[in-house]
Order: sequence, then structure tokens, then C-alpha cells
Amino acid sequence: MSNENVLLSIKDLHASVEEKNILKGLNLDIKPGEVHAIMGPNGAGKSTTGYVLSGRDGYEVDSGSATLDGQDLFDMDVEERARAGLFLAFQYPVEIPGVSNLEFLKVSVDSQREARGEEALTSAEFLKLAKEACKQVNLPVSFLKRGVNEGFSGGEKKRNEIMQMILLKPKLCILDETDSGLDIDAMQVVANGVNSQRDSERSFIVVTHYQRLLDYIKPDFVHVLADGKIVKSGDASLAKELEAQGYAWLQTEPTEDEIED
Amino acid sequence: MSEWLQHAIAHADSIQDGFADQRATSLALLTDTKWPSRKTEAWKYTPLRAVERSSAVFKEESPELTPVDVEGLDFLELTFVDGQLVSMPEDLPEGLTIEMQESDLFTTIKPARHIFGLVNDVLAADVAVVTVAENVKIDSVLRINNLLSNGAQGHIRVVVELEAGAALKVVENAEAHGATLTTAYTEFLIGAGAHLEHYRFALQSGDNVALGGSHFKLLGKATLNSSIIGFGSDLQRIDTDIIYAGEKAEAKLNAIYLLDGTELFDLHANVEHAVPNCTTEENIRGIAGDRSRAVFNGRIHIHRDAQKTLAELNNRNLLLSDKAEINTKPELEIYADDVRCAHGATIAEIDKKALYYLQTRGVSRSQAQLMLSFGFINELIDQMPTAELAEWVRPIIRDRFAQMEVK
Repeated sequence: MSNENVLLSIKDLHASVEEKNILKGLNLDIKPGEVHAIMGPNGAGKSTTGYVLSGRDGYEVDSGSATLDGQDLFDMDVEERARAGLFLAFQYPVEIPGVSNLEFLKVSVDSQREARGEEALTSAEFLKLAKEACKQVNLPVSFLKRGVNEGFSGGEKKRNEIMQMILLKPKLCILDETDSGLDIDAMQVVANGVNSQRDSERSFIVVTHYQRLLDYIKPDFVHVLADGKIVKSGDASLAKELEAQGYAWLQTEPTEDEIED
Repeated sequence: MSEWLQHAIAHADSIQDGFADQRATSLALLTDTKWPSRKTEAWKYTPLRAVERSSAVFKEESPELTPVDVEGLDFLELTFVDGQLVSMPEDLPEGLTIEMQESDLFTTIKPARHIFGLVNDVLAADVAVVTVAENVKIDSVLRINNLLSNGAQGHIRVVVELEAGAALKVVENAEAHGATLTTAYTEFLIGAGAHLEHYRFALQSGDNVALGGSHFKLLGKATLNSSIIGFGSDLQRIDTDIIYAGEKAEAKLNAIYLLDGTELFDLHANVEHAVPNCTTEENIRGIAGDRSRAVFNGRIHIHRDAQKTLAELNNRNLLLSDKAEINTKPELEIYADDVRCAHGATIAEIDKKALYYLQTRGVSRSQAQLMLSFGFINELIDQMPTAELAEWVRPIIRDRFAQMEVK
């Protein structure tokens, strides 16, 4: 695949957490507007991928590269990556009592607008946008006044993540097991929120254990991540195969250096 | 006895009212009390130099001062200027009385160990006695204003009694205009099943000395919700006592302090679980910047008979500079065996996960740190039951916090 017209390009990425190798040669190219699903067994490195790309402390890049729109992600601070258009929807969104959701959202949006050289929105303008976004993900407007994720149920936290995505308008969204802990109704709300943001420019990485989310968010590509690298790629039908057969049939012969481990 | 004290108590002679006997008792106690030094446990981290050096005087005449406005609240105002009562609410709601007369409660709730409490017993000239009649619930907020003009010394005292089933909201508000010295003590008797919502705002920073206390006695099933918010000054010391005298009473105390420069703030909170089945929750949070010093002492004393006590004390602090100082000491003294108690005191660091979360949304690390530090305090402001007071004080604290530098 040529580098032309690629939004995210990950090349031979090796990364570790507490000196344990998790990613072992990850390659992935994503073009604008594409939706890629990453599936795979526990411990394969699915969540690590999101943390490494977003720059979480303790996630060490050992070798390889990742660029977003041609910019080297690993050369940027966490907030710079966000301002460059990277968004990570957390599997476990953090509760921050004492910081109101509205203030959090406005500061986030303002920071990104400022980085793009745009003027900050007035409080009234922002409030209007935030209320619309609330409606879109079925969260009562009163949630804007509450502390960030404070006392939210699992589903409300996930919807709050999608609301942030709607307001921040990122180029690349990584949804880290956004479906975990959601019932079918809540999953549909989340999926609708995601689908409303799909266009020819915005790309998504949907990390999930289960095929059912992909019934609502139709992926262009499905990848299986196992032991730190992609072992199989295909179209949406691959997800159905995985659902029917599990991951065991994909476990390839161990490579030589794994035997050495 | 210090020179300052000798000089101050000379003024006691001029006070003629119905409290003469109690004042004489307190004066005798005061004369026997050793002036605190660094060796005195209750004053270990809080030197009294600022008191000894104070040049604040008893003024013959004071300027007209009015307390700050709070949007959305129409207070019943009890206003003292330089220690003199200058105004009382004109129309009191039915069941609420304010009188300047004898009261059996005067000096009975505030423990005698507070030396400046004794000073206040002797020197507070206009003791106001507030009473809420049985089962009367007052909607308006009673605000006790302790206003001081530049150079003045003032001593104020208010005694409040909530009879059984009554409800009242009280704000203690101090404002110092320049170099001043004050002692301000309140005593509250919260009757059976009565509810007191209490605030003490000590936001007078600068070169003033403020010593005071809020002391509560709770009868059976009484409830107290108290918020103390303080900035430091040359010397700011608040003592609070919560004394359970009836079962199934509950008290919640939230306190916030925010210090800058070379300010000093000292909060001593003492809870006496003398009877069974009472519940205490204390959340104390402070931020100290620059070369300031915060002192917190939280004692919970669970007496032998106080079974089934639930008590929680949590003190968290943030230091914004390596020259700032926090002296925190939780003290649990438990003599009953069937109780549930927890305490903790931390010099907190900013939550790394929360910091990362904010950064992934594009918020700079430094701004995220500020948001989280303010959030740490704001969480307690959010818990203030009267929203108008929270909305009033929040920007004041936010502004002060915004001016503080992380060093």
C-alpha cells in the first residue's frame, strides 16, 4: 500500500508495558473514511494499541513508527496527538469529581480550536452544541452539570465518550471495547452516534471482542490481532467467521523467536 | 500572661450585662492559663507572634461597613462592626427570635480549653442569642457578619439554640478591611431532631489575625451539615467542636482551605462521640502554595459507651510549592469496641489517569493539572446544600486559585 492518501500508518510497531513485549510488529494502514475493526483474544494487544498511539505513560515504543496525516505521532505529547485529530474512546472512562462535564468538554474543544488557530466558542454557543450532542447520544442535559463521568453507569460513560467524539470531530477515532458492558439498546445508541460521524474523511478503529457491535457499525476491514501483530485481515465477513469458529483456528505456528522466549 | 492579653482584658471592665458571672469565671480561667508557646500541643505549628505584634485597637467610632452581596439570597443579617452589633434583621419570621440577654447556653457548649474562646467570653460585648422555636423551619438564611475596619480589634459572640424539630441555616461571614484582629465564636445547641445547615466563610486574607470557633452540641437525632472555607492570613485559626449528647445524631463537616504567600491557616476539629449510634463524616481538603502553611488537627474521641459509632475523617492536601507546608494530624481515640471508624490524611498527588484522560482530549498538561487541583476542592463546593452560596463562593475560590503559582 502506498503512503499516498493514508491517514494512519503503523509500521512494524513493537511496544512494551513494564518491560513485557505486547506489540510485536504491528502493521496497519488506514485511509480517510475507512472503518477498521480489530478483534482478537484477550491479551493480544488490542487496548495497548490505543494507549501506545495516544501516548499513555508507561507504554514504551521499542521500535517502529506511526504517523497520522504524515506527522510522527511518537514525537508528540498526548495533547498534541489529540489536537492533530486522534481520539481514543476509553474502555473505562475516568471519573473526575469536581470538574463538571460541561467545563471539561468546553476546555477540550477550546484547546483543540486554539491549536487550529480558531477562536474559542462563547459559552452560549458551546452550550447549544453540547446540548445537541447530549440529545444525539440520549444523555439527559443534566449530565453536563455533573462531574465528569461521576456516578455515571457503564452505558452512560460510553455515551459520554461518544458525545466527546461528536464535539471534538477527530480525524481518527479509536473505540476501545466501547461495546463492553452495554445491552443491545445502549449499543445501538452508541453505534448510531458513531455512524452519524462517519463520512469520507473520518476514520475509525473499532476494537471489540464481539461481532455484534459490527452488525451496527459496518467495518470496511476486519483484522485479527494475536500476540501483538495482525495475523489475518479480511472484510466484514471475517468477523462472522470468527464469531462462529473462535480464534483458535488462526493461531499460526509459533515463530522461531517465540520458541526462544 | 502576654502583654497583648493583659492589655486586651483591661477592656473587660467596661462591659456591663447579664453575662457577668460567666465572664468572671472565664477571666479566672484565663488568668490561670499559660500563654501558648511552641511547646503547647494545640499551638505547636501556629505561633502567636502575629497576635503579640498586632496593633489593632478597640475603636470608639467605626465607619459604616456593609457585608458583601450574594446573588439570589436575601439574608437575615446580624451585623457586627469592630465588635459592636450595628444591625439586626427588622422583620423576623415567626418562631425566630434574636435577643441580647442572658442565656444559660453561653460558655456551656464551647469547651474552656480554647484560650481565645476565653478571651472572647471576656471581651465580646454584644452577645446575641438566637432561638428557633420548636418545629419551626426557617427558610431564610441567617448571616452573622463580623466586619472589621482598618486597625480595629473586635470580639463577637453568638449563641444559637434550635429547639426540638427546628431547622435553620446560618452563615458566619468575616470581612477584614486592613490590619485587624478578631475573635469570633459561636455556640450552637441543635435540639432533638433539629437540623442546622452551617457555613463559616473565613475569606479575609492579608495582614489580619482571626481566631475563632464554631461549637455544636447535638441532641438525639439532630443533624448538622457544616462547611468551613478559609483562606490564610497572618494568622487564621478556627476551632470546631462537635459534641454528641443524644443518640442517632449525624454531623457532616466539609472544610476547604486555600493558602498563598506566607499565609497561615489552622483548623482544629474535635468530635466527641459521648453517646452511642451517632455518625460523623469529615472531608477536609486544602491547597497550600508558595511559602504558606496549613495546619489541620482532626480528633475524634469515641467514649466507652459510644457503641455503633460511625466516624470517617479524610484530610487531603495538595502542595503547589516545595516551600509550602502542611501539618496534618488525625487523632482517633477509641474506647468503645463496636464502632466503625476510618481516617486518612494524605499529601495528594494529581491522579495520573485523570491527567492522561484530559490530555487525550487535547487539554494541555499544565491546564489539566490546574483543572484537577481545582476540582479537588470544587467537589466539596458542589456538596454545599444552598446552591446560591456555592455559586457565590466558587468564582472567589477559582480566582484565588488561578492566581496561585505552581512552583
